[in-house]
Amino acid sequence: MSIILSDLTARYGTNVVVNRVSLEINDGELFVLLGGSGSGKSTILRMIAGLTPPASGRIEINGRDVTHLPPQARGTGFVFQNYSVFRHMTVTENVEFGLRIRGVGRAARHQRSTELLDLVGLGGLGDRFPDQLSGGQQQRVAVARALAYEPEVLLLDEPFSALDVKIRAELRQSFKEIQRELDVTTILVTHDQEEAFELADRIGVIERGFLMEVNTPQALYHQPRTEFAATFVGGGNVLVGRMEQGQIKLGAVSLPLPPGAPPHEEDTPVRLLFRPETVYVGAAPPAEGSDIHTLGEARVCDEIFSGSQQRLRLEMHGFEGVRSLWPPPPYGRRVFYIEAIQTSDRAVALTRPAPGDHVWVGLRRYHVLEPSGLKLLIAYAETPGGQAAAAFGALLARAASGPTTLLAVAEAEQVAAARETLEELRRRWPGGPSPRLTTRVRQGAIAAEVLAEAQEGDYELVVLGRGRDGLGSVAQQILKRTETPVLLVQETRPQIARVLICTAVGEPGKTDVRFGGRVARRTRAAVTVFHVVRPGAAPWERARAEQHMAAAQAVLDTLGVAAETKITGQRPEGRVADIAAEAEAGDYDLIVIGAPAWQHPARSRWTDFASQIVRSTSRPVLIAPMVP
Amino acid sequence: MNPNSKPRATVLPPLLLILTLLPLLLMPLGAIFVFAGHAGLPGLFQTLSQPDAQFALRFSLLTAFGAALVNGILGTFAAYVLSKYRFRGRETLNIVVNLPVAIPTVVVGTSLLLLWGPIGLLGQFLDPLGIQPMFAPAGVLLAHLFVTFPYMLGAVKPVLDELETTYEEAAYTIGASRWQTFRYVILPALRGGLFSGLLLTFAHSLGEFGATVMVSGNLRLRTQTAPLYIFAQFEAGNIETANAVAAVLALTSFVIFMLLQRVTQQRNRRAS
Repeated sequence: MSIILSDLTARYGTNVVVNRVSLEINDGELFVLLGGSGSGKSTILRMIAGLTPPASGRIEINGRDVTHLPPQARGTGFVFQNYSVFRHMTVTENVEFGLRIRGVGRAARHQRSTELLDLVGLGGLGDRFPDQLSGGQQQRVAVARALAYEPEVLLLDEPFSALDVKIRAELRQSFKEIQRELDVTTILVTHDQEEAFELADRIGVIERGFLMEVNTPQALYHQPRTEFAATFVGGGNVLVGRMEQGQIKLGAVSLPLPPGAPPHEEDTPVRLLFRPETVYVGAAPPAEGSDIHTLGEARVCDEIFSGSQQRLRLEMHGFEGVRSLWPPPPYGRRVFYIEAIQTSDRAVALTRPAPGDHVWVGLRRYHVLEPSGLKLLIAYAETPGGQAAAAFGALLARAASGPTTLLAVAEAEQVAAARETLEELRRRWPGGPSPRLTTRVRQGAIAAEVLAEAQEGDYELVVLGRGRDGLGSVAQQILKRTETPVLLVQETRPQIARVLICTAVGEPGKTDVRFGGRVARRTRAAVTVFHVVRPGAAPWERARAEQHMAAAQAVLDTLGVAAETKITGQRPEGRVADIAAEAEAGDYDLIVIGAPAWQHPARSRWTDFASQIVRSTSRPVLIAPMVP
Repeated sequence: MNPNSKPRATVLPPLLLILTLLPLLLMPLGAIFVFAGHAGLPGLFQTLSQPDAQFALRFSLLTAFGAALVNGILGTFAAYVLSKYRFRGRETLNIVVNLPVAIPTVVVGTSLLLLWGPIGLLGQFLDPLGIQPMFAPAGVLLAHLFVTFPYMLGAVKPVLDELETTYEEAAYTIGASRWQTFRYVILPALRGGLFSGLLLTFAHSLGEFGATVMVSGNLRLRTQTAPLYIFAQFEAGNIETANAVAAVLALTSFVIFMLLQRVTQQRNRRAS
């Protein structure tokens, strides 16, 4: 192992930008870290080089712990996006700089730089100054400079992204050859999938500081484990079906679980991935006896011709109750899209489908992702609220069948006791102690530790207990510093059968409907979408509210959730009274409200509103912040 | 370049400009040399060889060298710290170090006297020890350092600001220590800025009058700089003598200015 990262974490202020990343990189491997901007990929690279100090964790290079060494002592070669070639030095002087620092003699230096310049294709240009070179040539100089002193690892931070397309492809190719020839262990950071696929021996997909998945390009494309990798890498279709009698049920269609697919329990969601090029599109249903699985009929919505291939967007019929994760379904419309790609040689033939055509759709191949469920964090405390949170959280965890963490925060001397209590809870867990339930005890102040766990654990929902007061500082911290929804429980409920989604019109209203719908789908609860119109509202405001409710109904219908909508006028006591009255009248088990993004100017006004709602009822309240 | 701003071939506007500038800039400059040349070259040399004049010119040049040297180092250091480190009060410090440009030089002289003078804040303790920085060459140097401090900073800091941090980081990962990075990577990149900063400091020190006249006491053959000498000779009615020294100063400044022009042009050509 050339490079070993263990639990590497980085923070900027209170933000966790790299989150417990552990990774092993083999000798001579070309490893690519692939992620969007702000995913933390460059920070990982900078930590390996010693340019950014890690908050915690360990970095090992060739068996040597370098975590606390300065960059000079690490023996890495680093190539920057902006080349950073020394402008006052000639190409040769640039390449020889590392050797000069190390006191290598003139003749040896010259030999090495000539060798390297030939290798990177700059032979004969040694006397030029960087400003006499093109961007691509400057980056070649930077690569040669980083290789001159034979570093133990080569690190490249988006090395080709400042170049134009043609030069980028050229340089990429010659870089791959150089890397092979020198057999130097390399980590390259990029946001460009194509680049990652072309270069990598293995790819690590990174998102919001989490290393989501590591695998070879082929495996990552055809057999990803996670939904993120499936949708981020390559275009794809990800649908959620259900496991019924050993078959995957997608609306009216049943598909067999392919061999080697991760096991799924009966009646749990199954996430199905198929790539656009594996979709069969034809005027007739696939022939009997062929190994194509028929999905059904569809209408061609869109067609894009891009030379070698034809991209189709197909609107499927008869897929009610099937959730589509990718392509993301348009909000509030009862349509279900699938993307397909056909190679041009077929597309130009007479059968070429055009928008409006009705076609048959089938699957040549599909892949089943690992079961995920809703990833829950339940903060336990020995208060009535904490116990209610654990009880209600258990109900939800069972319905969501996702990984669940039971967290307690204790003082140093009480850690052992807290661990004991959690173990006890785990043994008494409804439905038996699930392998997907983990317990964790953190030491310190409650608010800070729950927040830290919520940030580090990538949870989809945090369950907190509460007293009679409003939001509470823990919930406020989490809502302010993360995008994770929070569920506040004062008293538990015997079941989760009725969900009230209190929605505002506009963007935040979409998040609460989506997330509330997801929870209802998992728990099989009936949903009431509720909206309060302010007194004296203009007719257009009313119309807009009605439109919003119709869209919510459509979203919930396509999720297969039983839903009704309700619009009422505001009581003189205010909106909160309306919501409280509806919550009592309908005897709801869960109330869902949306929240604006925390940077939003209305956020503080909204916090008061949320506090009032929470105080007005003893029922569990779920707050779903808007995801931009 | 905006096509509308392309220079047009015409004679009238430049002619008008020159005519306007004639009494404002060009004629005064010429006057110095015309007057200096009244007694012919031998007369000029004779005037310049008087001990007072000799001392004033030498003292001025020496002080200017001293100011350029000290502020060259200090200003580069200040620019480096202000540009590369993030700390509390950085903005304030940035303003403070540039203040000397805005403060009238006579006020600078006064405040130096109030600090280092025999009854000044610090001076009152030094005086009994026999240390008197004011009305001595050291005082003149202090005044010049104060007044010319921002020029070096102003020439170097923008270059440093423009230098990406990755430039230094590249050197670190290659294995260069902080000092090696400064010596081989940063300093060479600053060459142009350093040179123009030094010249600016030198030129401003050479012509400094307001602060010098306050702190020097204008003592012949001890603290009298060339500008003070010119003023003193004028007051005494020795216009020819004053003019001779003025011509030398003007010539020196002219040479420095030409050098500066060349450096800037070179840098601009590189940048494009």
